[in-house]
Order: sequence, then C-alpha cells, then structure tokens
Amino acid sequence: MHARYLIIGSSHAGREALAAIRMADPQGRLVMLSRERHRPYSPTILPYVVSGRSDPRKVGLGSVAWFAENRAELVLDAQVVAVDADARAVRLADGGCWTYDKLLLATGAEPVVPPVEGLEGVRYHVLRTLDDALAIRARAATARRAVVLGAGLVGMHAAETLAGAGLDVTVVEMRPHVLAEYFDPRASTLIRETFERHGTHMMMGRRVERAAGVETEACRLGLDDGTELEADLLLVAAGVRPALRMLADSGIATDKGILVDTRMRTARDGVWAAGDVAQAPGFPTGAPMVNGTLPEAVEQGRIAGMDMAGDDDLRPYLGGIPLNTYGFFGRHAVAVGAAAAPAGDGVEVVTDEGDGYCRIALKDNRLIGLAAIDRVMDAGILWRLIQRRVDLGPVRDRFLSHPLETARALMSRGWR
Amino acid sequence: MASQDTIRFISERCDGCGDCMTACAKAKGSASRVAIVAGSDGGWEMALCRQCGDPKCVANCPAGALDKHRDSGIVDWFKDLCVDCHLCTVGCVYGGIVFDPAAGHVQKCDMCDGSPACVPACDKGALEHLSAAGRLHEIHADKEDMFVPGLSACQGCNSELLIRHTMRRIGRNSVVAAPPGCIPGMGTVGYNGQTGAKMPIFHPLLTNTAAMLGGVKRQYERKGRDVTVVALAGDGGAVDVGFQSLSGAAERGERVLFICVDNEGYMNTGMQASGSTTFGSWTSTTPVGEIGRGKSTDGKYLPQLLMGHGCAYVATASTAFLDDYHAKLEKALEASRTGFAYLHVHAPCPTGWRFPAAMTTEVCRRQVETNFVTLWEFTPEDGLCFTRGVGRPRPVSDYVGMIGKYKHLGPAELERIQASVHRRVEVLQGFRRRSTAAG
Amino acid sequence: MNQLVNSSRKIVCDGNEAAARAVVLARPDVVSVFPITPQSSLVESLSQFVADGVLTAELINAEGEHSVLSALQGACLAGARTYTATSGPGLAFMFEPYIRTPGLRLPMVVSLVTRDMLSPQCVWGGQQDAMTVRECGWIQVYCENVQEVLDTVIMAFKLAEHKDVLLPVNVCHDGNYLSYAVSRIELPAAEMVDGFLGEPDVNWHIALDPDRPMAVDPLTGGTGPGGAASFVGYRKSQVRGMANALEVFSDIHVEWGERFGRHWAPLVEEYRLEDADYAIVTIGSMTGAGKDAVDAARERGEKVGLIKVKTYRPFPRDAIIAALGKVKAAGIVDRSVSFAWDCGPLHQDVMTTLFASPHRLALVGFIGGLAGADITSEHFQRVIELTAQAARGDVSASPIWLNEHD
Repeated sequence: MHARYLIIGSSHAGREALAAIRMADPQGRLVMLSRERHRPYSPTILPYVVSGRSDPRKVGLGSVAWFAENRAELVLDAQVVAVDADARAVRLADGGCWTYDKLLLATGAEPVVPPVEGLEGVRYHVLRTLDDALAIRARAATARRAVVLGAGLVGMHAAETLAGAGLDVTVVEMRPHVLAEYFDPRASTLIRETFERHGTHMMMGRRVERAAGVETEACRLGLDDGTELEADLLLVAAGVRPALRMLADSGIATDKGILVDTRMRTARDGVWAAGDVAQAPGFPTGAPMVNGTLPEAVEQGRIAGMDMAGDDDLRPYLGGIPLNTYGFFGRHAVAVGAAAAPAGDGVEVVTDEGDGYCRIALKDNRLIGLAAIDRVMDAGILWRLIQRRVDLGPVRDRFLSHPLETARALMSRGWR
Repeated sequence: MASQDTIRFISERCDGCGDCMTACAKAKGSASRVAIVAGSDGGWEMALCRQCGDPKCVANCPAGALDKHRDSGIVDWFKDLCVDCHLCTVGCVYGGIVFDPAAGHVQKCDMCDGSPACVPACDKGALEHLSAAGRLHEIHADKEDMFVPGLSACQGCNSELLIRHTMRRIGRNSVVAAPPGCIPGMGTVGYNGQTGAKMPIFHPLLTNTAAMLGGVKRQYERKGRDVTVVALAGDGGAVDVGFQSLSGAAERGERVLFICVDNEGYMNTGMQASGSTTFGSWTSTTPVGEIGRGKSTDGKYLPQLLMGHGCAYVATASTAFLDDYHAKLEKALEASRTGFAYLHVHAPCPTGWRFPAAMTTEVCRRQVETNFVTLWEFTPEDGLCFTRGVGRPRPVSDYVGMIGKYKHLGPAELERIQASVHRRVEVLQGFRRRSTAAG
Repeated sequence: MNQLVNSSRKIVCDGNEAAARAVVLARPDVVSVFPITPQSSLVESLSQFVADGVLTAELINAEGEHSVLSALQGACLAGARTYTATSGPGLAFMFEPYIRTPGLRLPMVVSLVTRDMLSPQCVWGGQQDAMTVRECGWIQVYCENVQEVLDTVIMAFKLAEHKDVLLPVNVCHDGNYLSYAVSRIELPAAEMVDGFLGEPDVNWHIALDPDRPMAVDPLTGGTGPGGAASFVGYRKSQVRGMANALEVFSDIHVEWGERFGRHWAPLVEEYRLEDADYAIVTIGSMTGAGKDAVDAARERGEKVGLIKVKTYRPFPRDAIIAALGKVKAAGIVDRSVSFAWDCGPLHQDVMTTLFASPHRLALVGFIGGLAGADITSEHFQRVIELTAQAARGDVSASPIWLNEHD
C-alpha cells in the first residue's frame, strides 16, 4: 500500500504534522500508523487516567470525524519494525508493508528500565501507554504500598496520584533532587518538601540494587544504603528514551534521538522526524538536543508537516527551549529555559521567596531561564522573551521585581 | 473558520483605573481575564486572549479541553476535560490563558457570549469590541456612499452590497465603468437623465470595458491627474466577450482596477449560461429536460487566466468574508497605481440560482467552506497565496444541496463537481511560490 | 526629425506617411494602433515618431481594432484629442465601438486606408470597407492625392471638434494607390498648424471627469416618461451636426487656403465643367487618371468635364445638383458596389439626389478598381466614350464593370 504522506505515531507531533500537511495539500493520500489499539491520545494525559480524573474514553486526540474532515486514514495496531529509506517503505510486525513519498517518524519515546538485579522476575509497571495507565489504575485499587523508581515528571505525577488513592508511597531517586531536568535545587527542594508534607516518602540520592518477587505482584527492593522496601505496586519511572529500534540499517542518522535539521528533515531524503523521538537543534547554540516536551512536539510536528507538504509559509525551527509546567497538591510550578542555570560565567541569578518562589536567570540583561512556584507566570510570554533575546536592560529592575507584569507589558508593546 | 471577534486595546486612552478588570471579575465570578499592567514609560498595557486563528493553546492541550469554535471563532475551555497541566499557558504568547490560583485552574476570556463586560466598563474608550462587521464599520462608516438609495437589485443580491462597499472606499476621485449586466441593470448608470451614482460612471460595451478604461487612465496620466479607474463588470463582460479587451489591457499593464462580479451567467437578462457557468447548472440556455442535464462543461476560471498575464495583483473574494475583501481591495488599489489589478468576486444569485434571498451570505460562506470558491491573492513576486486555508473543506454537496439550479444532479454528477473542485485546488497550489522543499 | 516636422518644407513620402505626419502636426493626446494591410506603414510611422519623441502622444498598442477604438473613446471622454487608422477587416472588427462613436458625439479622426472586403479573399485597395459603413453616422471624406491626405487629416480634426458638428471623421485614402504612392508634398510648419487647430476641447459636452461627475450614456428611450422624446432629441441633434458639417467643412477649407495657400474643393470639385456637355464623376485617387483622360479628350475636342466627390458623408446634395445641372449626361465611376441596387454606392446617391432636382440627365454607372485593380486612362477613355454616347441619347445598361476583362 502506498501513501503520499505516511506518519508513524499518533500523538502530538504526528497530529500537528497531519493538520499542517492538510493546510497545504488537501488531496495527497495521508496515512497515520499507530502501534496502539486505542485511538490517539496524549501520553501527558496518562497520570490523570491513573488518578481517575480523565475518563479513558474521553482522552482522544483525534476523533473519527476529525480524521474524516482531514481526509486522513488512521491505521491502529500497526507496529512498524523497520524503515527502508532506499525503497521508501516501512515494514510492519504483521508482515505488512507501506510505501511512501514522504515519511514522518513521530514514534515518541519508550520507558527506560534501569539495570536492577532481579527486576526481570518482578511484576513492575511503567507508564507510557493507555494500557499501562489502566493496569496501574486497576492495581492501585487493591494495592497498599507503592514504590516509584524515579522522580521525573512521570514518577512525581504518579506518586501524587497513588498517594491520592490512599496508597503509602515511596519515591526512590538516585539523583539528589526531584525534577532535576527542569528545576534548580531550591525549587526541587520546595517541591519535594510538599510531597513529604503530604506523607510521601522521598528517598533522594538512593539507588535500588535488588528486586525480588514476594507474592503475586508484591516485591521487595534492596537499596544501596541497605534499606529494604516492600511494595505491592512497583512503578519504574526512570525516564524515557527515543524509540529508535525500527531504524537499524535505515541510514537515518541517530544520536540520542533521530538527528534532524531546522525543517525536521533527517539525514535521508523523504524522511522527517519530530517530537520525543527527534534530536533537533537546541536554543541558542544549535547543538542537537532531545527536548521531549509536549509544546516542542507540537512545534516540531507542525514544521515537519509544512515542510513535507512544501508549504511556503514555513519558518524554520528556532531551537528547542526546555520548558514545563507542573501542578502538584494544589500548588503549581513553571520552568522555562535554562531555569536551573548556575550563577557565574556571565549568568546572573536573582531569587525571590517572598511570595512563593521565583528564580530568574539573566545573561547580558536577557532572560535565559525562569522557574517559579506558586507564582502566576505567562510561560508562553517568557518563552518568547527568551527566544527573541529581548533586551531587558531598560526594564531590568522592574522585571526582577515584577516579572509577570513587566513581561506582559513588553508583550503588549512589543508584539501588539 | 468564522470571522473572529476580538477586543482591541488602545493604550493611549488607558489610565490604568482597572474598571475593566473589576467588570470582568464581577461578570465571571473569578479573577479578571483581562489584565492591565503598567508599561515601562508610564503608560498601560494589556494581556488578554486574542482568540487566535491558529491557537497554540489548543494544540498544546493533551486533554482536548480547549477548542476553537467553528462558527464563533472563540477558543472555548472545557473545565470537565482540563487536567490542570497548564501546558496551554506555554502555547500562549499573549498571556491570554492564565492559571488562577483562587479558582485552581486556568481561565481565559470567552467574549461573554458576544458582549464583553469589560468593554462598556471602560469609560475612557480604551477597549473596543471589534467584530469583523464592526471593524469595517469603523473604517468605512464615515465615508460617503457613492450610490443613491433605491438601486433596484433583486432581493438578496450581494452585488449591491459589494459595489457600495467598494465605491465607499474608493470615493469620488474615480471613473467607473459598468458594462451591461446586473450592475447597470440595477440603475447605477441610470435611465433617461437620472443616475444612481455620484461619481463619473458610464456604460461601456459588454466587450470593451478594460480597453475603454485604459484610454481614460492614459489621458489622466498624461494630464498628471491621479484618478482611480474601476470596472464593475459581470462575468459576461470579463469571461466571455469582454475577455479579449481584458486580456489586452492586462498585458499592457494598464493602471486599471477591474472587478468581475461573477454570478455565473447572464442573470440580468433571464439567466442564460455564460462561460463562467459551472458544470451541471440549470440556466435558461442549458435547461434540464429529457436529455438536458444543465451545463455539460465546467466554467472558465478567469482569475487563474489573469494570473497567467502576470498582472500586478489578482485576487478572488467572497462577500461572506468582507474583511478579506477589503484587505484585497486595498492591495488591488495600490497595485493599480503601477499595473493591472483584477479582483474576482463571487456573487451567488438568489433569483437565477434558485435559493432563498435571505441565504445569500450563507451560500457565499458555504462556497468557500467547500472549496467550491477559494480565496487567494497573487502577485508576480510572491506567487499565489491562499488567504483562507483550503485544507479542510466540507464536501461540495453541502454547497450544491443549497442551490436550486443543481437540484436535478445525481451522485455521479456530484462526484464530478467534487473532483473538479479538488483538481482546481491542486492546480492553484501549483501557483504558489515554491520553497526549497525536499522530496 | 524635429527639424523635419517643425519647418515648412517639401518632402517626398507616400500617403500613409503623409497621414502620420499630419497626425504629428495635429498633436493628439492619445493614439492607439493595430496594424493591418494596407494601413500598417502608417502606424509604423506613428510608432516611430513616438519612439523618436517627435510625437508626444500616449501610444496604446492595443490587441485589436475593437480595443483600439474603445481605448480612444475612453481617452476622448477624458478630454483627449485622438487618432487611429484602419482598413477592411480591421474596420469590420472595430464595428461595435465604431457605430457607437457618433452617438456619443466623440470628435475623433480615423483614417480609413480603404481596402476591398472579404470574400473573395483579398488584401488590396478598393473602397468597399468605407462604403459599407457609410450609414453609421461618421463623416467621410475621400482624398485624391498624397498632399490632400496630409492637409485633410489636419483639417478633419478641426471639422470633428467644431461645436456645430462634434462628430467623428473618417479621412479615406485608397489602399495601394495612395497608401504606397510616393509624391513630393509640402509639409506645413508646426506652429502654423497649432494656430490653425487650436487646443483640443473634445469633452465639454460629455465627460468622464471626477471634477464634472456625470453618468455617460445611461439608458435612454423606451416608453417611460420622457424616454422617447429624449432619444429623439439626441438623434435629431446628431443628424443636425451631420448636416452642419457641409458648411463648416467648406469654411475650414477656405481658412486652410488662406493660411497655407492650398485650395481644395471641400465638397465637390468641378474640373473643366463650365462648358461641358457631359461629365464623369469620380471619388478618391482615381480622380487623377480621370482628369488626365478628360484633358486628353478635350485635346480631341470632346466637351467633357469631371466632378470629384470629396465629402461623401454627409452627401453634398446641393453641390452635386449644381454641378450636374451643367451637363446632359454623367458617367459615375465607383470603386465599390451597392449590393442592393446593382450599381455603385456613389451612383445610387447621385440618383437619389437628382430626385430633388427638376433637371434630368442620362446616367451611366461604372464599377472599377476593385481589389487593387488599376483604373487607367484607357478605362477612363472608355468611360468618356460611353458617357458621350449617353449624352447623345444612347444610354448603355449599367453597371459597366471596367476591369471585367483585365
């Protein structure tokens, strides 16, 4: 079977690419392959499926009508196992084959399972798919003690959810701080302390060395400091990595992820990549980075789709900027850019804990990162200030004392 | 997508009193969704949802809790679906969707069902509610209507609307040619010593409008007078017998604005077919009978041919999208100072096409929503640019089904129309300036 | 070039160039052109004059004669003095705006470089094109030689723009025999022509001008209030303008003679007619050969004269009656045919005119010079013989086709 546009992956990057292609080319056959048996959804929604906040029947990212309107075909249960960029073809696990004119790899990421002795013999969970979420939710209904390996976004979301479900939750993180990819140590500490106040055990700087099954789904874990933990729900949330296995021998250059340029083109003609699987130029240096956030997936997907369809309005990718928003126990945090950048080497850091927490990192009077807890911030405006390298010199003091209002005034004046 | 209503902020009038925020908070029972902040120079600035055309907040939502309403254009937020991830706030570069700690979730402006509470609360006039119609009113209301009241167009005809809008913008320093058709037929040029127009207007032949206007313009150029010359022609005077002189004037780059008001036939004289009449259309010369099935060939698509002439400006327009039309009229007028400018405006005819007079604008809109009519502009430098996306059309049956002149058509004929709509879009896409896209 | 145009001097050129040089002297604002045989060298000359800066008019290279005249209509309504030239099929293609021009009372000058009409296919001279449009409301004048072409084109502007006339004028010169015939002519000084013509004032009555907004040519007529009277009013004044042209054109010729020293008969020229028993009637370039034949016959003692018709529309009835009143027979030579009347158009007009006169005389009709054929002195010799025979009471059956056996 042949498609002019073949998209592998059905989450944000694939969805945005699909919409962008259809803006420029209403006709060319467009097929989206998903390894899922469920209709497309966002991985970001999964912790909320676990918690029961989101109805798994209502988390769809693309309704049947939406695909019909866009004249796109969605093929579920299609696990791509190999890409042949010479033949412009992909092979499926069931032996099927699709040929294409233009291919987008938006296959996302898959969980990393750390090398823990005995883990293979234990019933543990990961949280990357809707089925994962449903399994955890089912298990949480009867479990009493949960251990979460990893204090990244997935682990922290899950820990909060499981605590909310009444479980006794322990988080084990080998690094000293929670959410260390996004937040500076002080912000991480504030977040960790909140978890601790809500009864979650936060074991930082610890490593699980052994795991052993106890009964059906329970297990016993041995930590590097000798601590023994028992859990009847073990969630491995030690991070994700781009899903690259299908690319063996494809000639598509990879590093941590699939290397792409500012139009999301890979090393092979006719192949694009976007979203969590891609390693695109980072801001401001252009050095390739895997920046697996939802907003970046949206941006990269859109650019890939426009380029695939030859849309003249395309503006090349300006580079990935780390960025996240995070709600926990009724509090909220935001981190944009190099929010954890240490002071020195030209970087100036101003922190303010007067009302919540705010840490601003400037370089040459330009914002390079900001982290805040319980402070209302317009993350999108801050992102734009960083990306445009807006000179804050004239309003520096005001910005440091009133970042929200000053950023809004700059926005209102600057891109009115 | 429908025209988007927005709230305009006039910074110079704002004194920072905050009455708008009070009104918003009161109306919504929560924190204000409009934020006035101090500017760096002592003035005031505003953050508010712009109800963007391509909203990034919607794209960034993993839960389907945000959606741009197809008709109102308003970006709606659904509390039930929201999971408080705040990723929408990352997408918005206007501070238009913001976490409200008191409410525990994000908030955004919903335009208060069409009458925003903040706007009347501002007695300084710093906030203006701009609907598309309102914006046009603001720009053009004080200008003189160049036609007298009581033109005798058929009920529901959009040509009168169009020519009033057009000439209100262009004004008295103009010469207008209205070749035989509905536009003079409604009395613009006049009868027996009375005229319906306030600017110089004449009744050229059906065949020679562009040439005659070219001659008018040349003489004014020779005299050093800046006079705008405009054709308000029908499709017959452009597509059929008017084509040669139009083509010649376009080739010569005469500094003329030629507006073709295309009602796809000779509607003024009893609905005979023209070269612009579309496939399957009943007309009085392509009737439906035992054998006849309406017009057996596709219409001639004139704007594409004008592109081929390398005119300074070519655009299509629909009166359902008047803001788009006005933007194009501006560009066409500017282009007509240095070369030939051509506007092709689609004019569904309630009388001749057999649909209720009250439905004209809806028919116009549906033409565009189905890609039966596409909105684009062209300059030799930039190529063709769609001014409204062609990516997600409704099926053409949604349009054809509204129109009586197509009511005899069967599925096979409908399929043919759908196919030619697709084909035309593809052909037009080929006129876009190509990037260096791969593959 | 400038010197050539601006000094009164003698030059050698053909009729097409003479017309073009006349146009330069008339200083039109807008000239629109499309080439067609045998007019092409005329518009080539005009184009070259514009390219050389000798003629400063706006030049519109239109895509066909229909647009040529249409553009000029627009320009004229905006106040321009205008000019073009055409022939045969070009005139046919121009017909739609052509027939509208007199009703709009637009004082244009258009040279018709006359050509026979298709079919049979032909590209040569003949007056069938001009004669076909003789009832369209344009003034038509026919020239005898290259100098007359030049002088008449200039005079035509003054005639067209005269406020008692205000009608378009066709200056006709024969394809081949005048278009390409080279003569020595005198080119008047530009400033003298400026003084003769004055500034154009062509749209005082009807204009497309934002300073004087009006609706040009709204619907008129029908049975609505005042409709019929309004239409009749316009039509009647158009006919009156046409009638006025005879006197106005005569006055213009007098003035021309006074200023430039060349005296042309404005309507009808009488040549050696005073003591003639009979006469031949000619139109256009054939007149020269006709005069030669008359001279030769006079040498032989024949009492023959010649009547040359210059102004054909409006038809100079009084002048024709006066001239024919002097003879007992006339041989009328047409370079075209009237299909309805089995004679030439001029012949038909003469017959019609004589109905208003008590004088009766014998008429013999000749048709010659179609499709580029020559009407030679020998042909005229035969015309004279047959007319003399008619004067003696032996009237041949008309028409006699002069080139039937050539």
